[in-house]
Amino acid sequence: MVFEELEHTADIRMRITAPDLSSLFAESGFALARTLYGDYPRETPAVSFSLQADGKDPEELIVNFLSELLFLTETEYLVPQKFTLTVGPSVSGTVQGVLFDRQKHAGGTGVKGISYSGLSLTKTETGYELIIIFDI
Amino acid sequence: MNAQIRQTAANEWEIPRGFVPGMRVPGRFFLSKNLAETLEDGALTQLANVATLPGIIRCSLGMPDIHWGYGFPIGGVGAFDAETGVISPGGVGFDINCGVRMITTPLHVSDIPDMPGLIEDLFTAVPTGVGSKSPCRLSQQDLTGMLENGAKHAVMMGYGTERDILRCEENGAMDGAQPEHVSKKARQRGIPQCGTLGSGNHFLEIQTVDKIEDQETADLFGVTEGQICVMIHCGSRGLGHQVCTDHLQILEQAVHTYGIELPDRQLACAPLSSPEGEAYFGAMAASANYAWANRQIITHIVRELFVKKFRIEYEEMPLVYDVAHNVAKWEEHDVNGVRQNVCVHRKGATRAFGPGRRELPHEFQGCGQPVIIPGSMGTPSYLLAGTKGAMEKTFGSTCHGSGRVQSRSSAKKSQTGEEVARALLAQGIVVRAPNQAAIAEEAPEVYKSSSEVVRTVHDAGISRIIARLRPLGVIKG
Repeated sequence: MVFEELEHTADIRMRITAPDLSSLFAESGFALARTLYGDYPRETPAVSFSLQADGKDPEELIVNFLSELLFLTETEYLVPQKFTLTVGPSVSGTVQGVLFDRQKHAGGTGVKGISYSGLSLTKTETGYELIIIFDI
Repeated sequence: MNAQIRQTAANEWEIPRGFVPGMRVPGRFFLSKNLAETLEDGALTQLANVATLPGIIRCSLGMPDIHWGYGFPIGGVGAFDAETGVISPGGVGFDINCGVRMITTPLHVSDIPDMPGLIEDLFTAVPTGVGSKSPCRLSQQDLTGMLENGAKHAVMMGYGTERDILRCEENGAMDGAQPEHVSKKARQRGIPQCGTLGSGNHFLEIQTVDKIEDQETADLFGVTEGQICVMIHCGSRGLGHQVCTDHLQILEQAVHTYGIELPDRQLACAPLSSPEGEAYFGAMAASANYAWANRQIITHIVRELFVKKFRIEYEEMPLVYDVAHNVAKWEEHDVNGVRQNVCVHRKGATRAFGPGRRELPHEFQGCGQPVIIPGSMGTPSYLLAGTKGAMEKTFGSTCHGSGRVQSRSSAKKSQTGEEVARALLAQGIVVRAPNQAAIAEEAPEVYKSSSEVVRTVHDAGISRIIARLRPLGVIKG
């Protein structure tokens, strides 16, 4: 697993690592999805949505990207299965997934927002590390 | 306790200026000796960070349920000067007007022989948890009506009574709401979620009044011993969350425009008098109104179910009161002996106006407003009253709950949801949630003792205990 939950009293604090920025964004998307839906099954995607976000620095970019994804999960009842992303000064691509099914996806908790508090996105020897708090 | 923190009274502590660079005023918080041991360094730093914000008046305040959040700590209160002060979504939170309300019923414990059955029926009737959908078919016009007029609009749609409106803080609708600053995306999230409970610490609980400490005030609040009550805790759902997200982006930019130096990016803010600050206030007030409408609709669903199930009248389940936990509001307070209009941020804190405030219904003019403090799943909730002490010490504010002490991840490691539910059932408390993890994460042990928190605000004189409520059945979102 490339993301793990760290201690935080009230919210969900995650550490996510990946070799490159595109995978870091995809993994952080899955970290958000696992928070929302619990440990849900991998399935062949049935729906696809385009996803686009801007930010004046990498931190703002990841917050805006995850906020966009959260918006899609709530308005389209999307459960992500696959991300295809291009990350540069902005992020764009698609997220594929299945529609929410209470039988399979009721294992998580709602996320209210992606927080800037305690946010760090750093380059490491092996790639990138993101520490981020989801307000629940 | 950190060596720099000074105790100033029995349950009162001060963080001196200089604790973090740039503090304009000291920080003050209320904790009993026992609760002081639960205070995290992260929460102290956050309380001190708030004291660096421009225009903060007197001090940055922490209630006894203070804990580590983002931006302001949870349990944080700050009042800001109208001319020099700022407004920050970090002092309100993502869940704008997350709040709690309480209705009474004519029923007693013996009238509900099948509590698991009642909880199951309520769980079916009130959409709960991730992915749940609104029971109402809300039009865009109705959404705008709710953003402008809050609980009043919900009552106009048939969800409740005229009397309900009078028993909500702000009469269920804040002045200054500007739906035009609520984005299309926020509206898109708001329409399918109206009348849903949400998840996390949101809940619907069946309780009984098991102890009255002030009979005279309890009579004014309409609460009697042994009575069954229903408590509802939820907020503005995805609509409010999106408003916070949208305006944080705008205010991030405003911080540079107005040259504000911040110790934490989540404290992004703008002068109260700036276009950005006014736009956030208008959108936040509209979201707060949506939250009042949301709680009003859930109340209606509960009442309809009780009418059918117990053959009682709709009007026999009056609203005691509805309070907001996460909000920024214009209020008049005495500042250095001068009456001033200031913007009070409450982030996980409850308004606790004392006697004589013109904002309160006439029946509460002598006793102060009802303050509803929910406990955690297995612990008592409390009904308190606002005091003169709160007006003097905390800009009319008090605690909002128990406050977490244990993380969700360690809670899940220490007990399973099944174990927690079994232990609660042994105490006579039925719990229902969309999944077992939700129960484990909200186990009673992960919170401070609600009784200790409430005792602390009572002893500090910032509210008075009126009655204690024992949980019988809980729906966790």
